[in-house]
Amino acid sequence: MAHQAHSYHMVDPSPWPIFGAAAALLTASGLTMWFHHKTPYLLIIGLISTALVMFQWWRDIIRESTFQGHHTPTVQKGLRYGMVLFITSEAFFFLGFFWAFFHSSLAPTPELGGQWPPVGITPLDPMEVPLLNTAILLASGVTVTWAHHSITEARRKQAIYALLLTVLLGCYFTALQGMEYYEAPFSIADGVYGSTFFVATGFHGLHVIIGSTFLFVCLLRLIKYHFTSNHHFGFEAAAWYWHFVDVVWLFLYISIYWWGS
Amino acid sequence: QGLKSLVPTEFPGPDPIFGTTKPGLPATDTFLGTNKVPDLQRVFQRSDGLPVHLKRGYPDRMLYRTTMALTIGGTFYCLVALYIASQPK
Repeated sequence: MAHQAHSYHMVDPSPWPIFGAAAALLTASGLTMWFHHKTPYLLIIGLISTALVMFQWWRDIIRESTFQGHHTPTVQKGLRYGMVLFITSEAFFFLGFFWAFFHSSLAPTPELGGQWPPVGITPLDPMEVPLLNTAILLASGVTVTWAHHSITEARRKQAIYALLLTVLLGCYFTALQGMEYYEAPFSIADGVYGSTFFVATGFHGLHVIIGSTFLFVCLLRLIKYHFTSNHHFGFEAAAWYWHFVDVVWLFLYISIYWWGS
Repeated sequence: QGLKSLVPTEFPGPDPIFGTTKPGLPATDTFLGTNKVPDLQRVFQRSDGLPVHLKRGYPDRMLYRTTMALTIGGTFYCLVALYIASQPK
């Protein structure tokens, strides 16, 4: 049997990239059909196929790493670069929405009454639920670090408790934010204030849900003994992503919630 | 690719002080299930020529076929829908 003379991972042929591309096509055109022709079927097929591809692709990565041993230190280094680059791209994504917010709020037009918040807008009190949400995310940053230390110290039970607490804090944030959205005295249609507020905080909320899901998958893998005290990059990637989500919230809180009120 | 199976260097178990209060505790951790990774490593390292996305046999095949049906079928539906949508009213 031939053995490779390098430490890289030559993956088995996989259908997920092309199926994932098709799923993206279905989701995008599904959105179009839903917006313009009020039929949601293509969108539903797109979302389901996207979910199926994601599940199977990441399942296969776990198989290749934990069960087949392909993730050498060289491979892991590449994955670290990849995650850092991805998070950087997400940072630029949010930068755009912050740009939009400051563009409109630093020089409010006469149509807004020459002030920020605009005339007629009652902003949310930053010292109420938003402050609680800040505390929740900061606490979750502590618990995820606690979980990481527990993993490196091979304390499985403690790591499980810490990671579970992190996921629960993430869910608590999402629930509170959902309630805030429901109770808010303004909507996304309320001029540029509503647009910048809900698009920026909305995409942040989506990232909290993604991050919580990523951490939850790590929790399941932790329970199933996938991680060792030396090799647990999946968890580290989730923790990096979670800290990124936390930092974006801090910027949102300071600029939109606090300065913007 | 010839990589040897991972030696599971899993958690060495509960704190070193265990055994003083519960003398009957087993050596392996049983909190929320036992470690099945070595068994799964055996399964996924079988030399059967199957690619990793079909390695587990029947459940993998069913999930793969469902995904393929949805994506390829959906692509045809998409092309038809876009053709119809592009017709003048």
